[in-house]
Amino acid sequence: MLPELGEFALWISLPISIWGVVLAFLGGRWGRGDLVLSAERSVHAVLFLLAVASAGIIAAFLGDRFEYWYVSNYSSRNLETYFKVSGLWAGQRGSLVFWALNVAFFSSIAVWTNRARNRELMLWVSGTLLAVLAFFIVITLFITPPFERLPFTPQDGRGLNPQLQNYWMTIHPPTLYLGFTAFTVPFAFAIGALLSGRLDARWIQITRKWVLTSWFFLTLGIVFGMRWAYEELGWGGYWFWDPVENASLLPWIVATAFLHSVMIQESRGMLKVWNMVLVCLTFIMTIFATFLTRSGLIESVHSFALSLEIAYAFLGFMAVISIICLVLIVWRLPELRSERQFESFLSRESAFLLNNLVLLGAGFAVLWGTMFPLLTEGLTGSKVAVGPPFFNQVNIPIGLILLALMGIGPVIAWRRASARNLKKNFMIPIGVGLLTAGILAALGMRHVYALLTFAIGAFVLWVIVTEFWKGTRARARIEGEGAPTAFFHLIRRNRRRWGGYIVHVGVVVMFMGFAGAAFDREVRQSLEPGESVSIQSAFGHEYTLTYEGISTQRGQNMWQWIALMSVERDGRFIGPMTTERRFYEAPPQPMTEVGIRSTFYEDLYVILATLDDRVGIGNEPDFQRATFQVMVNPLVPWIWYGGLVIAIGTLIGLWPGGPVQSQRPVAGVTKPAARRPGNEPEPQPAGVG
Amino acid sequence: MSGLLAGVGLALLVVAWILHPLVTGRSAPMHRDDDELTDVQHRKRIALLALRDVEYDHHAGKLDEADYLAMKRKISAEALSALDEEERALSPGSPESLDVEAEIRALRATLREGAVCQECGNPNAAGSRFCGACGAALARARASG
Amino acid sequence: MSRDRRFFAGLVGVATVVTWLIWTGISDTMVYYLTPSELMDRMNATPELVEQGVKVSGNVVPGSYERSTAELLHTFLVSDPKHPEVTLTVHFRHPLPDTFSEEAEVVMEGRYMGDGVFEAHEVLTKCGSRYEAAPEEMKGDDAYGYGGTGTT
Repeated sequence: MLPELGEFALWISLPISIWGVVLAFLGGRWGRGDLVLSAERSVHAVLFLLAVASAGIIAAFLGDRFEYWYVSNYSSRNLETYFKVSGLWAGQRGSLVFWALNVAFFSSIAVWTNRARNRELMLWVSGTLLAVLAFFIVITLFITPPFERLPFTPQDGRGLNPQLQNYWMTIHPPTLYLGFTAFTVPFAFAIGALLSGRLDARWIQITRKWVLTSWFFLTLGIVFGMRWAYEELGWGGYWFWDPVENASLLPWIVATAFLHSVMIQESRGMLKVWNMVLVCLTFIMTIFATFLTRSGLIESVHSFALSLEIAYAFLGFMAVISIICLVLIVWRLPELRSERQFESFLSRESAFLLNNLVLLGAGFAVLWGTMFPLLTEGLTGSKVAVGPPFFNQVNIPIGLILLALMGIGPVIAWRRASARNLKKNFMIPIGVGLLTAGILAALGMRHVYALLTFAIGAFVLWVIVTEFWKGTRARARIEGEGAPTAFFHLIRRNRRRWGGYIVHVGVVVMFMGFAGAAFDREVRQSLEPGESVSIQSAFGHEYTLTYEGISTQRGQNMWQWIALMSVERDGRFIGPMTTERRFYEAPPQPMTEVGIRSTFYEDLYVILATLDDRVGIGNEPDFQRATFQVMVNPLVPWIWYGGLVIAIGTLIGLWPGGPVQSQRPVAGVTKPAARRPGNEPEPQPAGVG
Repeated sequence: MSGLLAGVGLALLVVAWILHPLVTGRSAPMHRDDDELTDVQHRKRIALLALRDVEYDHHAGKLDEADYLAMKRKISAEALSALDEEERALSPGSPESLDVEAEIRALRATLREGAVCQECGNPNAAGSRFCGACGAALARARASG
Repeated sequence: MSRDRRFFAGLVGVATVVTWLIWTGISDTMVYYLTPSELMDRMNATPELVEQGVKVSGNVVPGSYERSTAELLHTFLVSDPKHPEVTLTVHFRHPLPDTFSEEAEVVMEGRYMGDGVFEAHEVLTKCGSRYEAAPEEMKGDDAYGYGGTGTT
């Protein structure tokens, strides 16, 4: 019954959202509060209806309702319950409903938290949110209907793609979707600010938190995706510069640029147009990402079916949004003038601006590389492709510039810095960077980009640690606190700034992890049980893997051939390791499960490449020859650690600051002695510097 | 049959809920709150934040003495003009920015208590007798609250 | 005024660097994307192109797949969808993607070594309409060693 109810709910969510759009704009125009309230209630109503629709889809999966096209194509009776629930986002049709559900979820939060505040903005915000929702509901109803029925009821479904039967895959798409969809709210506030003319700091303040939320989920989603690729695709890598990956990277890049430049608007009242453009652009990029992944228009290894209706729908939507943004921004141009001018070329503002330009440059390069095959085919008729080498060649230097800026920014003063001071402040960190490069080179590292990454990384880490140390020391001295307390209070007092620095530390760690890829080692060998293969890692460890044999096992939805290896490192036995070949029954497809053994700084990664065809079900000792590909990937774990640090830093920046601030609300008044200018470490820049 | 009933019930419920304001005339608030930052308050906030930045940068050795003083004088003037303007249309601060409001109150206290240096515009702590920036003698300060 | 000019110079500088990076990146790494018959035509016309990197897509010829158990070497024939009589012998020395089958459509990157032999260093399979929007790439590759993320 629930699936039918879900379908019905999906249908009525469309008129309700359209009703809401119309009433929000009319209510705003006529100043009628009752219309506006009705529109805001529509937002919550749409959330409720979409939740019912999603519950309907999940119920259809759980109840094995194979008369639904979507269920029969993405599930089977023997699929684990866990993956049946994730069926909601396993395929195009369900995932668009899930997408709309996420948009509605965030919209509802935005409308609810602002029910008594920012009313001038909210009039237009709820209308914009509902319009976006209506678009996605139209797509799910008319182009990719999740509740479409087959003319007959199949006995069983065709099963879920085995590569999606992995726990990372159940959390990666939802996280990414949360990131994409959360950005609808900043966009709605931007439109609300433009329409209402309330272009002061208000909307930027609200928006910043939302963008940070969205950025948090996007970052996590991208890292989860890398993790999934590393474990499940089984080629020892985590990023392929595939159109789908690039699609998720683009909004992330633009949002990162916005998070930096917004600080300049908040504290200086500058770059208003620029920030407006960045918000609109990020939103357009999230739509572009959906377009790219769903239309199948870009010739890629992805097996997306080419769907022209979706392509046109999304292209049209993007065009409409771009035009609306452009017209509104031009209309409000006089009000968006900067309140101030840049005071000096040599200032942190300039560093931020440079960071913005470089980020957008990187974004453009990624976009260009992704669209290149399509462009050349359209223009010249011959297909030309660029692959990972292109993206690496372009983005590694850009990435290094950005990395360096993370160290330069904090040291340059706001507004105006003098060359003499810069020299003084940069001397030691640059020395640390050079020293790092020197030591690594002396140890035999010859890879230029890797050397640069480590040198710049050390420079940045030194700068950030110094900032923390200086701040803690000053605070400890002034407030008479112990160092740990002072450190803790320092972060609490300006979460954005210090949280931002922690994010930067995470990025540095992650970049070092990327650089580790330059030192991957690999051997391939065909082995009989009892034979072994050795590989030396970049850190000088010698791994010896002895092949013990194959065993067969029956899983819920598959057969497994599990190869057992015993692993020695530097001659000492460190434990067993398995790597598998699976054969799924629905859909009938083989699958490789890699074996990974992680240490703090390197991964041993084993792939069971081929099995003897005669290895059947049951243990047959005669035919156990198998080919293994063994890799040692240095520093890959650092990518995951870096991701964790980034998440922690972002959460610190996001953490709502209620009680902490009220504990010392009148510090300056009660402790006037501590407020002597020039001796006062407390005041800190508004931004994550 | 029960599905149909549930669906109809669901639809009626939702429609009733969103139509409710139109029937009863219940209205969403349409105007800005009293406690929202006004333009002037915002300018003041920006100036004060800038002042904090400059202080911090100077303290951390990123800003020259001369640059620091010049900048501080300039921003203090901005802050003062915003404060003056605000005094004329005084309203309580936003709860959103307690932290900044506290700073503002403190600074306003310093500024109002006459601790601003007449020579260089440096806002000094209440009770100071000489300017911390240029050393000029300050007008006698009253006890601060 | 001079300040504005310096900002402008910075902008132009960044734009130039990025453009230069993209330009050299493309000219260094772009590969032609051909079908087997286009590849053969091209190789016959300009033999100096032999051993240059190229991307080829085509259909695996059913029954042509062989592999050696002693070493990791897969051999199969790939034909042109439009000209099934043109075939290419593919050598591949890495694990094949899980979705590889003798009915698959494959995209390969590698070098044409002459005599109808294509030495692939990357093989990707495109699966047909089996998974309407089958969300993930199925690939095998080597040097870059990257897998892909994907969203559905």
